[in-house]
Amino acid sequence: MKPNFVQKVTNWGNFPVVEKEMKSDDSFDKIKDFILTHNEVIARGNGRCYGDASLGESIFSTKKLNKFISFDRLNGIIECESGVLLSEVLEISVPQGYFLYVTPGTKFVSVGGAIASDVHGKNHHAEGCFSEYVIEFKLMIENGEIITCSREENSEKFWATIGGMGLTGIILSAKFKLKNIESAYIRQESIKADNLDEIFKLFEESENWTYNVAWIDCLQTGKNIGKSILMRGEHAFPHELPQNLKEKPLRLKKKFEPTVPFYFPGFVLNKFTVKVFNLLYFKKQTKKEIKNIVDYETFFYPLDVVNDWNKIYGKSGFIQYQMVIPKEKGKEGMKKILETISRSGNGSFLAVLKLFGKNNPEAYNSFPMEGYTLALDFRVNSKLKMLIGKLDDIVQEFGGRIYLTKDSMSKSSLTNYLRNIQNSKFVSLQHKRIINNNQGS
Amino acid sequence: MIVLGSTSEVAQAFVEKALQEGEKFEKIYLFTSNKETTERFARHIDVKFLQQSEIIELDLTKEIDYNVFENINSTLLFCAIGYLGEGTKEGLYDNKNTQRIIEINYSKLIPVINYFAHKFENRRSGTIIGLSSVAGDRGRQSNFIYGSAKAAFTAYLSGLRNYLFDKKVHVITIKPGFMATKMTEGLPLNPKLTASPKQAADCIYKAFKKQKNIAYVLPVWSVIMMIIRNIPEFIFKKLKL
Ligand SMILES: Cc1cc2nc3c(=O)[nH]c(=O)nc-3n(C[C@H](O)[C@H](O)[C@H](O)COP(=O)(O)OP(=O)(O)OC[C@H]3O[C@@H](n4cnc5c(N)ncnc54)[C@H](O)[C@@H]3O)c2cc1C
Repeated sequence: MKPNFVQKVTNWGNFPVVEKEMKSDDSFDKIKDFILTHNEVIARGNGRCYGDASLGESIFSTKKLNKFISFDRLNGIIECESGVLLSEVLEISVPQGYFLYVTPGTKFVSVGGAIASDVHGKNHHAEGCFSEYVIEFKLMIENGEIITCSREENSEKFWATIGGMGLTGIILSAKFKLKNIESAYIRQESIKADNLDEIFKLFEESENWTYNVAWIDCLQTGKNIGKSILMRGEHAFPHELPQNLKEKPLRLKKKFEPTVPFYFPGFVLNKFTVKVFNLLYFKKQTKKEIKNIVDYETFFYPLDVVNDWNKIYGKSGFIQYQMVIPKEKGKEGMKKILETISRSGNGSFLAVLKLFGKNNPEAYNSFPMEGYTLALDFRVNSKLKMLIGKLDDIVQEFGGRIYLTKDSMSKSSLTNYLRNIQNSKFVSLQHKRIINNNQGS
Repeated sequence: MIVLGSTSEVAQAFVEKALQEGEKFEKIYLFTSNKETTERFARHIDVKFLQQSEIIELDLTKEIDYNVFENINSTLLFCAIGYLGEGTKEGLYDNKNTQRIIEINYSKLIPVINYFAHKFENRRSGTIIGLSSVAGDRGRQSNFIYGSAKAAFTAYLSGLRNYLFDKKVHVITIKPGFMATKMTEGLPLNPKLTASPKQAADCIYKAFKKQKNIAYVLPVWSVIMMIIRNIPEFIFKKLKL
């Protein structure tokens, strides 16, 4: 048997699925070889981007670059290879009293993927993107050379790579700062909002909280549009914890993790089931306001509890549509978007609203800009393309943009904001699609 | 713990599993022919588990200086050394290939294990875990040079277990079926029959805790191999396996 590295590859949304060459190795010489002997290469971390960003003609998976390099426990500075997952970082850092400054809604993303997408969390308004805490990283460029990039050294490459979607090279390792925590728990408040006006008011009142996020019921119509629950949180101090947690405030109890065993048939997820889900979700909270203490996993990664939950969307897959609309027009834009979705009947299981703070102008390839951002899951079906077209028009009208790491079918004028990445070696299917669309229009 | 073949993904996953489960080792001795990669692993377990380790170069194709091993003491030896080489179709009549396969999987390896087995015997305690292969259960046309070396290794482990039994040293034979490792990357393996290094490590750790004698990594392999072993020779010789 001779090896043949061509295989089916797809990312979190199971759409699109491609058959391409994919290889992984932990030897830098072999990675160099891979780059030099292939025409078009793209790095892939843990495939948690939803669409086609980490797919390409020849894919290099960083799965085997999975080693820690150093951990300065005094100053909370960690260095690891790029395939290390954020979950693995937390595993060793939390018991030592350190947390990630910025984390996305799943902990199963690689450090390389976090830099390449310059991910944001529920605290963007307060603490910015992942890149703010990156000290330096090592990048393998098109000739196989390894360069160190930081704010001082190779700084153009540093900033082009941040949010650069893998188009500048392969990140091999990175060094970044962690934040001090005194417990593994979050002091949380959940507040129900009956409509858009209320939720926007709540967001503005909550700007002093470190973490803010809202879940929206997308099937509401009329005056109920924007019905949602805002969740805000702070890292809890040990004295705020209930007695049974005070003893070991930095340890979590092990939980049972259910797994979705197979792809759900497509009909399971329809307007009706989404409605029931949202009803249950929102009815669960009967009080207007709940204050409690939850562990960090429950607060930051509620979806990670169910392994492979993406399979509930069936074999045809799903997309996530995440856009940002500048703050002044935020409410008006969101209203239009939610109305369009509710009219389409194409219900979204999951709709998450957040408020972004000011962006860092140096990280020019990063997605966030000051404004409201909404992320919606849609099952792929024949009517979806039309709905996305309509939503894209609204985003455009309000001067917003689409998050590249979730994109797989949006208008290229909303996703072509990357600069300084011209490179014929590192090419993704996404980038090709965007460029081709540009030329077509 | 003594690890022979430290760049093996299964060996590394086993070390991590043991440390995660709270096993304590004064030091981990990482034997390897690839210092660079092993250094990365040594740093990794230091960062992750504050585990001390030492790297010892071991190249089975060269002369071995046993004096270097003198001060190494442990109660657990994990041997993951293995070399697949070319299959029989490409490599049967290539003597270099044949020799390398036999040396690395068997003839040069055994004296090294014997050296440490002797130490274990003198101390009257310890466990030796050896990764053999289902390929050693019956010679098949596709890779019987490798298979025969592994068969010899399996027989060696079985005899060693028998010999050391009343000396309070236990020997475990692990027979992984297909594994998703560097050795097999890019081969069209059936995912249901293929274990990840982590899965393999979990299973091996269980076998270690239960002091099993022989363990297949995925249970289905014990069934498959039982069938393969029991096909009558006059039929087996005609099969394309
Ligand atoms: C449930 C869920 C919730 C999420 N929530 C959020 C959120 O709240 N905020 C947010 O910002 N994102 C969120 N995401 C998106 C996710 O954080 C990003 O897509 C992230 O980049 C995925 O990392 P990955 O390791 O899986 O990379 P992949 O998906 O494999 O790749 C993503 C991009 O990074 C590039 N890349 C990966 N590794 C390297 C490397 N070593 N060198 C160079 N380029 C590389 C790829 O080429 C690709 O362009 C969420 C995703 C999921 C599934």
